This record gives sequence, C-alpha cells and structure tokens, in this order.
Amino acid sequence: MSGLKETAMNDVALSSAPRLSRRDVVHGLAAGGSVLLAGRVGTLELFAQEAARAAAINAFIAIAPDGKVTLQCAHSEMGQGISTTFTAIIADELEADWSKCETVFSPAGKPYRHPLYDWQFTGNSESIRAYHALIRKMGAAAREMLIAAAAERLQVPAAALTARAGRVHHAASRRSIGFGDVAAAAAARPVPSEPRVKPEREWRIVGHGRSLPRIDIPAKVAGTAVFGIDVKVPGMVHAAVVSAPTIGGQVAAVDEASVAGMAGVIKVVPLGGAVAVVAEHYWQARLALAKLKVDWQTGPGGRFDDAALDAMYRKAMRGDAGWAQAEKLGDALGVLADSQRIIEAEFEAPWTAHTPMEPMNATVAAADDGATVWAPVQGIQMTQVVLANVLKLPPEKIVINRTYLGGGFGRRLLADFVAQAALCSKAVGRPVKLIWAREEDIRQDWYRPAFLHHIRAALGADGSPAALHHRLVAPSIIKPVSPTPVKPGTVDALAVESLVGHPYAIANRRTDYHMLEVPIPTMVLRTTGQGPNNFALESFIDELAHAAGRDPYQYRRQLLAHDPVALAVLDRAAVRAGWGKAPNGHFQGLAFADGFGSYLCQVVELSMVDGAIKVHKVTSVCDPGRVLDRVNATSMIEGGVVWGLSVALYSALTFAEGHVRETNFDAYRVATLPDTPALVTDFLENRKTLGGLGEIGPVCVPAALCNALFAATGKRHRRLPLAREGVFTVYGKIYG
Amino acid sequence: MAKFNFTLNGAPAEVDVDPSTPLLWVLRDHLGLTGTKFGCGVAQCGACTVHVNGGAVRSCAYTIDSVQGADITTIEGLSGDGVHRIAQAWIDHQVPQCGYCQPGMIMAAAALLSAKPKPSLADIEASITNICRCGTYARIKQAIFAAAR
Repeated sequence: MSGLKETAMNDVALSSAPRLSRRDVVHGLAAGGSVLLAGRVGTLELFAQEAARAAAINAFIAIAPDGKVTLQCAHSEMGQGISTTFTAIIADELEADWSKCETVFSPAGKPYRHPLYDWQFTGNSESIRAYHALIRKMGAAAREMLIAAAAERLQVPAAALTARAGRVHHAASRRSIGFGDVAAAAAARPVPSEPRVKPEREWRIVGHGRSLPRIDIPAKVAGTAVFGIDVKVPGMVHAAVVSAPTIGGQVAAVDEASVAGMAGVIKVVPLGGAVAVVAEHYWQARLALAKLKVDWQTGPGGRFDDAALDAMYRKAMRGDAGWAQAEKLGDALGVLADSQRIIEAEFEAPWTAHTPMEPMNATVAAADDGATVWAPVQGIQMTQVVLANVLKLPPEKIVINRTYLGGGFGRRLLADFVAQAALCSKAVGRPVKLIWAREEDIRQDWYRPAFLHHIRAALGADGSPAALHHRLVAPSIIKPVSPTPVKPGTVDALAVESLVGHPYAIANRRTDYHMLEVPIPTMVLRTTGQGPNNFALESFIDELAHAAGRDPYQYRRQLLAHDPVALAVLDRAAVRAGWGKAPNGHFQGLAFADGFGSYLCQVVELSMVDGAIKVHKVTSVCDPGRVLDRVNATSMIEGGVVWGLSVALYSALTFAEGHVRETNFDAYRVATLPDTPALVTDFLENRKTLGGLGEIGPVCVPAALCNALFAATGKRHRRLPLAREGVFTVYGKIYG
Repeated sequence: MAKFNFTLNGAPAEVDVDPSTPLLWVLRDHLGLTGTKFGCGVAQCGACTVHVNGGAVRSCAYTIDSVQGADITTIEGLSGDGVHRIAQAWIDHQVPQCGYCQPGMIMAAAALLSAKPKPSLADIEASITNICRCGTYARIKQAIFAAAR
C-alpha cells in the first residue's frame, strides 16, 4: 500500500535479515524473553525451553510444533502500543492465528535495525512507518515457506494451497495442516526472494477499522508488568545518584568516610558529573547519599540564569552571525522589502523536561568478559555502543534485555543512566540497579530547549500571505542522537521541522536558523521541532487571518486549496468541531499540522470563567495514511492532546545559579485529570504514505488553544506556557 | 533498624528496616511487591498509591514507622487471584498506555468507589489527582464510571 520508498526498503529487507541459526535465535529469544513474554512475565528457563522447540523461520518469526508463533518486536513498548501492532502486522501477513502469537522484545541486532538508518532505536514516530514494508515482507516470506513445506508434505502443488489462521489448507481435498507441523521443514527451505505481499483488502488482523486488545494491558492493570525499575536479578544491589549542583559540574572530591558505617552501604562511586552510593537496599543508598560530602567543580556555564540565557537568544536573533538558510522558495526578502503591508511577531516556547512517569533507571551486571543489561531503553543500539565504550568491551558482548518503559518521550534514546549503572556494577562486582530520584531525573535530563521565533509576512491584496520570513533561534535537538557530527552554523533538520516544506501555498518563503550554543544539554522530546514551531507558525497564521479580516478556517482552506488530502482533514475537523457554531460564551481556535508523515487539524473550544480558561472540548482529525489499529490510534491522539495542554498551559523550566529550579512535579506542572476536556477524535485515510501517530497528537493544541483564547479575549499570547503569562485554567487556579 | 509488623494484602508481614524508610520502598525492595510504583517521592504524582486501613495514601511519603499494626492493601492484593472489576473496566476501555501510573490510578479509583459508589464527575476530578504523562485521563474517567455501574 504505502509508497514509503518501498523498492529501496524491500531491497534492504531480506539482505538485512540474515538467516539466524537456531542457536542464535534461541539465545536471542531467551535474552528478550527473560523479562517479558507477551505481556506476561516468563522465566528465562521456561522461555528457553519453549524457544528451543521453536523453528526460526526468519529473524522475526519462530513457530513451535504446537503452533505457537513467537514474533520479535524490534521496538520498545513505551505506551504507544507497538508490542501489539508491530507483531500484528507480521501475524497478518503470515496468516497466523493471532490468539497463538506471542510478542517478545528482540535483542539488539542487525535484523532489527531501522532499514534506512541501519540503527536500532524507538523514536521519531517511525516504528511502523519505517518498518512496515520490511516486516510485511518477512511475514510473507515465512508464509510462502510454510506453504511450500506443506505442499511437499501433502504432495500437492503450492499454488493449490492457502494459508489462513495458522493452518495451510488444501481446498480440493479438504485437508489442512497446522503451521507447527511444517515449521521445522519450512525453516529449512530457501527464502523466497520476492514473496507476494498481501494487498490491503486481504488484511485480516490490522486496518479496516479494526482494533486488537493491547497485549500489555492485562499485566499493566494487575501490577505484574515488569518495567525497568521492577527488575530483580540474583545478587543485585541498589544505587542512588546525586549530580553536580551546576550543569556540567564535576566531582572534585568525595569524602567516603562521611558515610562509613552506615547500614547497607557498599561503596561510593564517583561518576564524573555525579556520584553514586551503592547499598544493599535502595533507601539505604538514599540515606547515605543525603549524608555524603562531595566537593563539586562548577560547570562551564558557571552560575548562569534565565536572564543570561534570554540575552543569548536575543543577541543571536538580532545578530547576523551564525545563521544558516533552511529553506528558500521564491524571493521572500524582496517581496517583503516592497510590501506595504507587513505583519510581524515574536514567539517563544520554554525549556521543558521529558519527565516520563518512570524515572531513569537501569540494572546492569558487568563482568570482565561481558555485560548484561535489563533496562527501559529507546536507544537500543545506543545502549550497546555506550556500554561497549564505558566497559571497554566489544558491542556484541553487551546483552540488552528490554523491559517495558514507563514512558520515554525521547529521553530514553540516550544511555547515560545505563552507563552509570554499568560503572557501579563494575565497581562493586555485583549486578546493580540504579534509580534516579525524580529530582535527578529532571536535573540530569537533556532538555527541550527554548525556541525563539521572529516571523514576518507580507500580505497580498486579497489578504493572503505573499511572503513569509521565519527566523528561529534554538540549540540543536538532534545532536546527541545524530549518527553524524552536528556543527554550529548548520541546519538542524529536526529543529526546523514543519517550517521547511510546509504544505501551505506561500510562494515566497524563507526560513533561517541559528543553532545557539548553550551550556545546557539539549535533545529531542516528544513532537521534536514540530511542537514549538507549530505553536509559532499556526498562531501567526491566525494573526494574518485576523489582519486580513478573514475566518481562520477559511483562511487556511485557501492556503491548502491545492492539496485535497490536507483540505479534507481541515474540513472534517471543522465539521466534527462544529466550527463557527460554538454555544454562547464558548470560543474556538484551530491549527493545522503536517508532521511525522501525518496531517492533523485540531480545534479547541473554551470559555472564560472569572478570567480563567475552561477548555471544554478538543476535536482532532488526523490522516496518517492508514489506521492500523483504531482504538490505539485514538489513544495516541487523546493522550497527545493532554500532552499539548501541559505544554500550552503549565510546563516550563527556569534556571538560576547554573541549574534548573523546577525539580519535581510540585513545581514542574503538567496537566491532570480535571484539565482533560471532552475529546473528539477522528481519522481519514487518504494520504498515500504511512504516517506516525505517537507524536503528532500534541502538535496543534498550543496554537489552537491560544487562537481560541484570542477569540475569547482579543489578547494574543505569544509566549508559553500560559501560566507564566498569568493566564490560568479554572483548575490551575484551584490547585495552584 | 527496627522491626515493624503490619497486615499486607491479608497476611501478616514483618520487616526490619530504618524507621525513616518510606512504605513504598519497603513494599518494593524488601517485600518484593513491585506493582506499587515510584514516580516522584514527594506525594505529588500518586504512582505509589496504596490503601492503609482502607484509605488511599501515597506510600512514597509515608514512613514505615507510621504503619505499625496497619492493614495495607497494594495493587497485588486488590486484584487477588482474579481480575478486579476496576481493573476489568481499565481493560475494557483500554486505558493504559505506558501503564506505569495505572496501579496507582486503580488504587485511587478503588478508594473513591469505596467511599462513593456512584461518583459524579466532580467527585472524580476532586479525588483522582494522580499524574499520567501519557494523558490517559479521558479513559480513566470513562472506566471509573463504567466500574461504578
């Protein structure tokens, strides 16, 4: 179905998935299954026994004699439902019986790497769209191998056989044979080079409005699902960590005697920018950490604060140095110079933290000849590479067991917390589970940086934008996860996302980007550059519509008139939200996005109660090409809306004395249950290629909310979050 | 170190720990019940919610010396051998995403439904103050209403 560079990807598909020996697969499955087995906890021994009986058809599929199908999920489950949908796609193509399929998290390995980047990670809303062609081909190849083996067994031509629900059927003789009965023979057959991938109309498990109950949910509501923090390894001890009081600061000296004799304390381990105490139990480590005397060197940024940071942004915005041109269409500067009607505005999105509910943690057993990791990581290969460096071992000696992730939002792409656990394990010679307190989770975060935008537009005679010049100052967000070096003075493709290549018909367009260098670690966070950029652009488009005296929905319709697929999203959102028909005293705002391969339009409806916002309803219409699981897709958008409300209303980090001020949820505010309005979510499936759903959901909320706020109050808010601007929700007022 | 005795999920329990140890870490680290989660350590997020003598408390900020002789129920005890009706409502509505906060959410919901078997939306908004970063609140509301039926 999808375009998705199908040819190139298919070429990669089989060549990147070498046939694994049974021994390899058993080892790999055992590693993946030691912690988690299809949503239930399985023992290593039990799983190894099951895996040993299974025939590995390819790197993604193994089938046991009893017909049980084990499917490898290359990605990490952090709430997006990938452990169900990823393997359901394979099962569908395989013509398996879904009730006999189990998902395991794959080991780190070449067959499971992103087909284009040759790098295994879970992020950028790419888990389905990048792997779709590959895993369908894997399922199709296995199905054909099973059919070929059955043909031999039944002594009939393969063309007379069909696979369905875990069996191969011979219609003429009304005979059928289970996958398990021919799996071993199938595994020994040659891999077909061009298996027939099923057309969409033959999908039986995914798509067509279907939903599967997520496999991870029963264990998650029973409290038995194993997250990283829940791992238990024989002989394991615990580590607690404190980091430097200034960002980038280092340990100068540690007084180990200050905790000598404290109950359970095993060792104090300096970690460069942090210090760990390893103890028999976690709280013993915390108690000792509170007593530990450490001298710290100040970080390279010194005791910088908000004012110093703000001055850096403003200076960069005013200056001519350090700019790189990210996009140039027509002659925006020329048109602006000649224009009589110029609108300009500055927008600012704040510093924010990832704060998944499960703080960073990892369990590592490091030995001289290898290390085993049990951890909630998005950066699967990153973890392997980082630990290989830290422990001076070859990457293949680092075995990664992935647990469930209690949220990720990008933070777990990095492996700094795993490296700390590895160093502690090496220091004490025992497996160590290292857990960051929430304060450390925020203080050792790699933040979403502030984005400062200056936008100018020239309005044509009909009020539509004839030219747009966008200047963005923001530190790089891709740098810590980029496979290639990122240099100042160049364009960070993720930081300028949604500004470059936007579908709006604006003939003269220029986007300039200044990669600001700051003494603070920065990286991607859910919605990457889309979030802050959409807030600026879609607020500004609303300003243009207002200046032109036009309805914001109709104004955008004109800008998307050339793109019927985008227009359909806008129109459906207007219908579902009842655009222009809000009840008396309610006000609406909308915004549109093209991100992660999906189109999205969101409409926020709110009212003002004694000067405070009450959000009544958020309508979302998304076109991700195909909806493979309707309920889960809806979950992604619904949860995304709440994330967007946090961003719009509450969340911001500020700096003083060289570090963040907000270090827990009492000060770093996020949306809660009372903030959650009625949610209307709908999908279209018109895009030609498959889009992502994990990050698009929040993208339009801040602009749509601020546009609705403008409709209600006549005041334009160009700086987030609104709480910082003295604008509160009715619940924000109540709960502070 | 000191010994503390209490009832845990219907059975007697005893631990020998520092009196300042939060109940959360006693449950997770000493008694092996990891369904109760650590999220903030300052009673803000509710991931660690358990029942003490029938009421919902945030066990990260509840030291072990304050539960001497108390009756404690965790997510493991709530569900018992079967699937608790609240947990079933959570499954029916496909509430969890990452799922990390959900044991605490379910314990908070169970305490609410014990106190108010037919809660209003205002009751839910006032009592479910736990944090979910995946943003599953809309379905939590639906699931609580369903479980209350």
